[in-house]
Amino acid sequence: MMQDLNLLSDDAFRASWRSWLETHYPSEWRRPITLRLRGEQEHRWLGMLFQHGWRAPAWPKQHGGLGLSFAKQLIYHQELEQYGAARFLDSGGVLLGPILIKYGTPAQQATYLPPILRGEEIWCQGYSEPGSGSDLASLRTTAILDGDHFVVNGSKIWTTMVKESSRMFLLVRTNKEAKKQAGISFLVMDMDTPGVTVRPIVNLAGEDEFGQVFFDNARIPRENLIHELNAGWTVAKTLLGTERITNGAPTLSRQSFEILEALTAALDLADDTGIADRRAALLCDLHDLTALHAQVSDAVVRGEAEDTALGLMKVLASELFQRISEEILRIAQEDAGAVAPTDVGGVDADLHKIFMIARPPSIYAGANEVQRNIVARIVLGSASR
Amino acid sequence: MGWRVDNDLQQMLRESAKAHLSANGGPAHFRAVRAHGHGFDAAAWKAMAELGWTGILLTEAQGGSELGLEPALTLAEELGQALSPEPFVASAVIAATLLAAAQGGAAQALARALAAGETSITVAWQEARGSIGLGPLETVLHQGRLNGRKLFVPAWHDSTALLVAAREGDDIAIVSIDPATPGMVLETRVMTDGSHEASLVFNAIAVADTAIILRGREARAALERALANGTLALCAKLDGLTTRLWHMTADYLRQRVQFDQPIADFQAVRHRMVDLYSGIELAAASWRAGLKDIEAGQSASLALHAAKARCSDVALEMGRWAIQYHGAFGYTEEADVGLYLNSALRWASWLGNAAAHRRAALHIHGQPEHQA
Repeated sequence: MMQDLNLLSDDAFRASWRSWLETHYPSEWRRPITLRLRGEQEHRWLGMLFQHGWRAPAWPKQHGGLGLSFAKQLIYHQELEQYGAARFLDSGGVLLGPILIKYGTPAQQATYLPPILRGEEIWCQGYSEPGSGSDLASLRTTAILDGDHFVVNGSKIWTTMVKESSRMFLLVRTNKEAKKQAGISFLVMDMDTPGVTVRPIVNLAGEDEFGQVFFDNARIPRENLIHELNAGWTVAKTLLGTERITNGAPTLSRQSFEILEALTAALDLADDTGIADRRAALLCDLHDLTALHAQVSDAVVRGEAEDTALGLMKVLASELFQRISEEILRIAQEDAGAVAPTDVGGVDADLHKIFMIARPPSIYAGANEVQRNIVARIVLGSASR
Repeated sequence: MGWRVDNDLQQMLRESAKAHLSANGGPAHFRAVRAHGHGFDAAAWKAMAELGWTGILLTEAQGGSELGLEPALTLAEELGQALSPEPFVASAVIAATLLAAAQGGAAQALARALAAGETSITVAWQEARGSIGLGPLETVLHQGRLNGRKLFVPAWHDSTALLVAAREGDDIAIVSIDPATPGMVLETRVMTDGSHEASLVFNAIAVADTAIILRGREARAALERALANGTLALCAKLDGLTTRLWHMTADYLRQRVQFDQPIADFQAVRHRMVDLYSGIELAAASWRAGLKDIEAGQSASLALHAAKARCSDVALEMGRWAIQYHGAFGYTEEADVGLYLNSALRWASWLGNAAAHRRAALHIHGQPEHQA
């Protein structure tokens, strides 16, 4: 029933996707940066994509995805961005799906993939722990085999969309004797497993999107182990397609720069030379990051992208978004102190939220300090101690 | 190289350039040129011509190869790595872009001499400090006489040929002037990259019709294209310089031991070197985006301005940190890193510095047709 999207030219694909968005995308969701779809919104959005044949662009076709070429995946994300669509996390489709496709058994794939595709089940990721942030491999949540079950004790934290999720994928320590990375396994579980409790955490943007999860002798069936025992570190590193470069995409920088431009015009500041110099610098930064992202994306298509480029772009993109968010507050003057959306020269802007949403990108997915260490190891060699 | 990919032609040129310049370029060559005080080495220029570099943008009829801008930029990168003071950008790119658009005997003779490496050619267009591209011209050609004043004329040499951009009526003309002509007042100065720069005053200099190599709309378009090409080539040269300097500095950091460890092990140093490295990545991506615009026929390009701004800033920043990381030794005349910073100072400020180009980028961004 669905046309093969890969047979379309890139332009025709873009037009087709754009036209679908124009027809079906809820206008109240066109709030880039500040809105991230949650709960019912995310179920509805992923379900819409599924029903209309636009779900899971990077998944292979035999698993129900679109199996798009990398170039078309980029277009898919570009158009969402240009349409001003809200952000959405889709941990199941983006993070877990590729892992199950690569390492899951046919039974695991049959159980978990279809509800992800249909948008029925929202997943959360259980990686970080109170004592294991950047040094993730030091994680201490234990899982000990007891018959057909792993008995899990410990805690996961910074678990995004934890309240909305029905399932979690998590890393647990299954061998305390082995070296850090070697004693970790990858499990999936239901959030309503007895012994699992959740405490929401309110972040600085005023959202309770993430939380802490506690495990008190929670029993997770043995068949929920993905891949082999103690192979969890390898499993967790799996990512498909464009997700490899998503954290380095200039999306949030570009969208926040547009807000900066709108506020500059609204406040009649275009002729202020100091502001113009800073805007010019941010504009050029945005241009150059976009150019680098395009070049590296092409290299990913060819299979030639280096890890250095991917790590550096995550650093560059997050820090540029932060600089732009700071400039937005700078030109808004007193309005920078308002907690809620406010009228800035006739433009309705949630300045505080933009500024605060710009904080975590330099922390998550490998803090920028850690990214710099990783890149340094590649370009300068290992430090000798 | 990573995401940077050479096509076959670029790869061949790059290898040939590396081989040639490892023996005929680099700090020793730079020091020799500076000591002789001619701005560049005519023999080195001739050797580049023999490799086909000076004619890379000239037509085949002119003795050139017409290979085009992209391969010329590959050479510019390598010349930047080798710190070459030879006038590749001023002559083989800027002047050659004009000549390739010109007909007529005078232009063809100059082009052939350039392709053969018998001469270098400099173009005098700039009249105001900090101007980017082709500004309003007060040098006037009227009834066969040239009057006016030119500043910041690059790549001056005793034997250079000279092209001058002048206003002619409502339009412009490019004229070939013999630098020895009576009535032309010449002042030169030495620049930090070893090159010489001139300021010129023309007092009613006679210009024969045959010396006008381009005029009218064609002249304006060719000059705008020439300056855009030259700016891009200078970006590539700055990228090459910065890349080379990063690696020189990294090598030094790895071998210099203090507090019983290589100073490359200190995290503060490592993070700074990563940031400098990412600056080079941005610079390299930025000028390639500029190349796309220029090949599509846009001489006023946001990408080009962003590229010159980025490449200039990154080169200077790398230069400053290279000195810092070489310690007191880096502050000596004897250390090579200072030659790179000195060349960066010149290349970053010529054809518009970073701040000026960022302003120009914002200006283009603000134009209605540029808004999405």
